[in-house]
Amino acid sequence: MQSLGCGGAAIGPVTHMTSGGRVYICCSPDRRVGVSTTARLLTDYRLLKGERVAGFDTDPHEPSYGVHFPGLVKAVNTADIRDQISLFDTLLGEDSAPKIVDVWSRAYGRFFETVREIGFFEEARDRKVMTILFYHANSTESALNGARELHRSWPEIRLVIVHNEGAAQLGAKARDILAHYPAGGKLVIPELHAPVNKTLEDASLSLANFLHAPPPSMSIVVRAALKAWLTPIVTQLNSFELRLAMESGLFSN
Amino acid sequence: MTRKPTKDMSRVTSQKKPVIVEEDDEAVAARALKAPIPRMEKNMKPSVILVGADKGGVGKTTVARALLDYLATNNIITRAFDTEYPRGTLHRFHPQETTIVDLQSTSDQMRILDTLNTAQVKVSVIDIRAGGLLLAMQALEDTGFLDAVAAGDFDFLIYHVLGPSIASLEEIDEIAPYVQDGQYYLVKNHVNDTTFFEWDPITHRRYFEKVETAGEITIPKLNEMAYEQVEIAATPFSTFVADRTAEGEPAGHSFVLRGYVRTWLHKIADEFDRVGLLTQLAPRSGTRQAKALK
Repeated sequence: MQSLGCGGAAIGPVTHMTSGGRVYICCSPDRRVGVSTTARLLTDYRLLKGERVAGFDTDPHEPSYGVHFPGLVKAVNTADIRDQISLFDTLLGEDSAPKIVDVWSRAYGRFFETVREIGFFEEARDRKVMTILFYHANSTESALNGARELHRSWPEIRLVIVHNEGAAQLGAKARDILAHYPAGGKLVIPELHAPVNKTLEDASLSLANFLHAPPPSMSIVVRAALKAWLTPIVTQLNSFELRLAMESGLFSN
Repeated sequence: MTRKPTKDMSRVTSQKKPVIVEEDDEAVAARALKAPIPRMEKNMKPSVILVGADKGGVGKTTVARALLDYLATNNIITRAFDTEYPRGTLHRFHPQETTIVDLQSTSDQMRILDTLNTAQVKVSVIDIRAGGLLLAMQALEDTGFLDAVAAGDFDFLIYHVLGPSIASLEEIDEIAPYVQDGQYYLVKNHVNDTTFFEWDPITHRRYFEKVETAGEITIPKLNEMAYEQVEIAATPFSTFVADRTAEGEPAGHSFVLRGYVRTWLHKIADEFDRVGLLTQLAPRSGTRQAKALK
């Protein structure tokens, strides 16, 4: 499996998209594997760069991703045709702002069924919109089969395998398990100790703002732990973006 | 391989015309001459495809529209007759190739049947209005058209669109005597979530197994909102997929709805492929199906 970073990594699938924006789809058929956390991290990362972001949370009942970004993230019901229009038409819109989708485990099947039926990835390719799947690994056979199925269905779509070490604990066999996943990249979210993890649940905590200037009221210990947790994630995302930019530059018109 | 509608399709309907268009055969022929003539037309015997049902609201015009799209994307130049006289339904979506006719009128019967051999357009689609299927079959028999079909002068395909009622299924018995020399297809239109009594094997067998047909064609369900948006757009399905207005301008339709319509059209095209429609219309160039069978 390739790393998201540059060091020694092979080049992933060739991407010809240069100008049509990006769509990040965070997903897993299983619950509690860190999908919303990844969507949140990607959103904060873009905000940290000073970019506008449009997000979608496909859990219309308890949007755990959307709660952190009121006004930026819209909750949608993937079974509703109006929400499908709101979601997919926006993802392919003229606006080049990055779009991030948190696919709730219970919406997973419906989401990709719709993607297939409307030809979303094909249209995205034609519109030069780069789509990246952040698929969350765990130890179950169904998760592995889900990744393989996505790769088989859309081999040209970049599939980044995310291992959230806190949410999906793979133990000593982590490398063996992850090695079976088809991947065009890897993102590792380190485990965060429980007391610090609790701070993340605070809906008012913006990780982008934290990285700019940690709130003085926050405990120094928590501050240090949070920063230590975020730093390697940001580094991986920086490397990933750099690699995408280099690949796009090679083939731009 | 059969061409299917794609978003890049450039075939769009031109200027809308008044409701009743008297496009004569010369005009249709002139249009045919301007268009690139597909290779298979040289081998084609005149064909009539009749789409109908006596029951209303079963989707006859939807099937006729999908059929016209399929033929157009496969370069089969077609003329269509809309028997929803005088208002027209099919005509609203395909004004260029559609003429509104009264099938009980002798002059309109002549307009359709007497021109089958002389018209350069070899395929005629007739969309029968609700309640008009049996009458149409009787009229075709009275005019000697069915005899000409039996003699091999014309190809005749009947697409009998079925609805979710016993009354609709009972039409099969009524129509059967007229279709012995034609290719008689039962069309199960699932646009209305119909099950065709498949949950009740006895009833299903009673209606679907006692008449010898050329086969069944299944029209899958299309999302209601997508269907309604095409209704509002008043364009062929393929024009909607291509995101164009009837005038050929960018329409700005939802990508999601266009995607649903595109996939739906593909599935219908697969059905027409499965029953070998193109081969039936142009038997001597029917290598495509032979290849598919291999």
